[in-house]
Amino acid sequence: MSSMYKVIKEQIESFYLIRRLSLYELKSANNNNYLGMLWEILNPGIQITIFWFVFGFGIRGGRDVDGVPFFQWMLAGIIVWFFVNPSISQGSKSIYSRIKMISKMSFPMSVIPTYVIFSKLYPHLVLTIISIIILHFTGFPISIYLIQIPYFLFGTVALLLAISLITSTLSTIVRDMQQIVQAILRVMIYLLPVLWVTFSLPEWVQSVMKINPIFYLVEGYRHALLGQGWYITADIPYTFYFWGVVLVLFWIGSALHVKFRKHFIDFL
Amino acid sequence: MSKSVIVKNVTKKYKLYKKTSEKLLDIILPKSYGEDFYALRDISFEAEEGDIIGFVGVNGSGKSTLSNVIAGVIPQTEGTIDIKGQASLIAVSAGLNNQLTGRENIELKCLMLGFSKKEIKELESDIIEFAELDKFIDQPVKSYSSGMKSRLGFSISVHTDPDVLIIDEALSVGDKAFADKCLDKMNEFKSRGKTMFFISHSIGQMKQFCEKAVWLEFGQIRMIGSINEVIPEYEKFLNEYKLMSAQEKKDFRDKALQRQSEPMLSL
Repeated sequence: MSSMYKVIKEQIESFYLIRRLSLYELKSANNNNYLGMLWEILNPGIQITIFWFVFGFGIRGGRDVDGVPFFQWMLAGIIVWFFVNPSISQGSKSIYSRIKMISKMSFPMSVIPTYVIFSKLYPHLVLTIISIIILHFTGFPISIYLIQIPYFLFGTVALLLAISLITSTLSTIVRDMQQIVQAILRVMIYLLPVLWVTFSLPEWVQSVMKINPIFYLVEGYRHALLGQGWYITADIPYTFYFWGVVLVLFWIGSALHVKFRKHFIDFL
Repeated sequence: MSKSVIVKNVTKKYKLYKKTSEKLLDIILPKSYGEDFYALRDISFEAEEGDIIGFVGVNGSGKSTLSNVIAGVIPQTEGTIDIKGQASLIAVSAGLNNQLTGRENIELKCLMLGFSKKEIKELESDIIEFAELDKFIDQPVKSYSSGMKSRLGFSISVHTDPDVLIIDEALSVGDKAFADKCLDKMNEFKSRGKTMFFISHSIGQMKQFCEKAVWLEFGQIRMIGSINEVIPEYEKFLNEYKLMSAQEKKDFRDKALQRQSEPMLSL
């Protein structure tokens, strides 16, 4: 419990640092490209086009999803994935790849995964706004349900932080962890209601898929962006489950992080 | 004068593993796996404000480990280090981001040290001027020569005004003119009562600058005292070591390595 408090305190105290460092992070990742940060938007754009072609046009043959055209249905969910995927994969290698740079013990180390995640937040915000505009002109006008977006955004950041605290600590100690994370991420998109529709599955299979907390976020974003309803209150036990998972992961993550952070440099 | 750095019974133990599986078992199980190696063993000394202490010793004697431990980069296994104020380590290319430009690195590094945006703005021009980077400051650091990198690193560190400065071989890459400029800066620090640790293989620089010296040999203090006492002894040892035959040198190293693996005797 005390390590959880410590980590939260560090995040709040270093908020300015997190903001500045995340901008540098974004900059140094894109400095080599002529198009620079535009790639943060172009890359998802290319993927969305291909996924729409393969799954929407090819496999589904252009059929809609419960009255929603496939493209819009996919877009509203996949933008969460474009935030979650790079955040987890970069977040889990954040500590061991930067520890040399941070040669000071006084630097709050729990901030490292946070600023890496924040550097992925800016492209996500831009992508969300672009999606809202696209959806507005393709039959899903801006509605009151959009005010759920800040809530789900906060939920996503909280979950990513909790996960990255665990994976960044473990992958610093045992480098194989990074491979495990990559392997899971590579297939994760197929276990989420992003590219294909899960309604047709038996009830119990759907329940199993809902164990994954990212499922909650994808459906939440979709309800908000497509104006399908209030997802937070539609399934209250699921909302409680989600925050329970975040809390437990955060508790494990901060305990691990605080226990091992003094020795991170020894594991290099 | 008051003490600014007190190093007491500092020991740094590393584990040498033969296989990666040993490392994993060592983390998970309470039983100890792997061979112990003492990079530093029971180091104790004190430094007063305004002291400039040189660390000498052959390769692998623990000079860099000791400087990293004092700077707080590496945690010690046992013992305590009390430092009055903030310590700053300058090593070759320490903590520069290769993808970013020199100017961005200045801001990044200062941010991490806890400076505000306004303070960084004020420091920036001084840092650039001291580093003599001129128009290269807006080029990415990956295109810098090693001399340029170390000049930038040195310049950032001295301008952030640390209380204790640790210089690990950082001057050996710069040219004579820059080294002299750094020595001037360090003399200024000295007059302001800052403590400095200086690691260099150049005995000339050491004599010119340090007052005290710590001679490390295979992780232990062989001799400690004023520069005039330690350096002649050290030079004598170096000459003897040079004259040894290859076999004798190997025996000498083997014996020392074995000593570094022995468990600590509890007092």
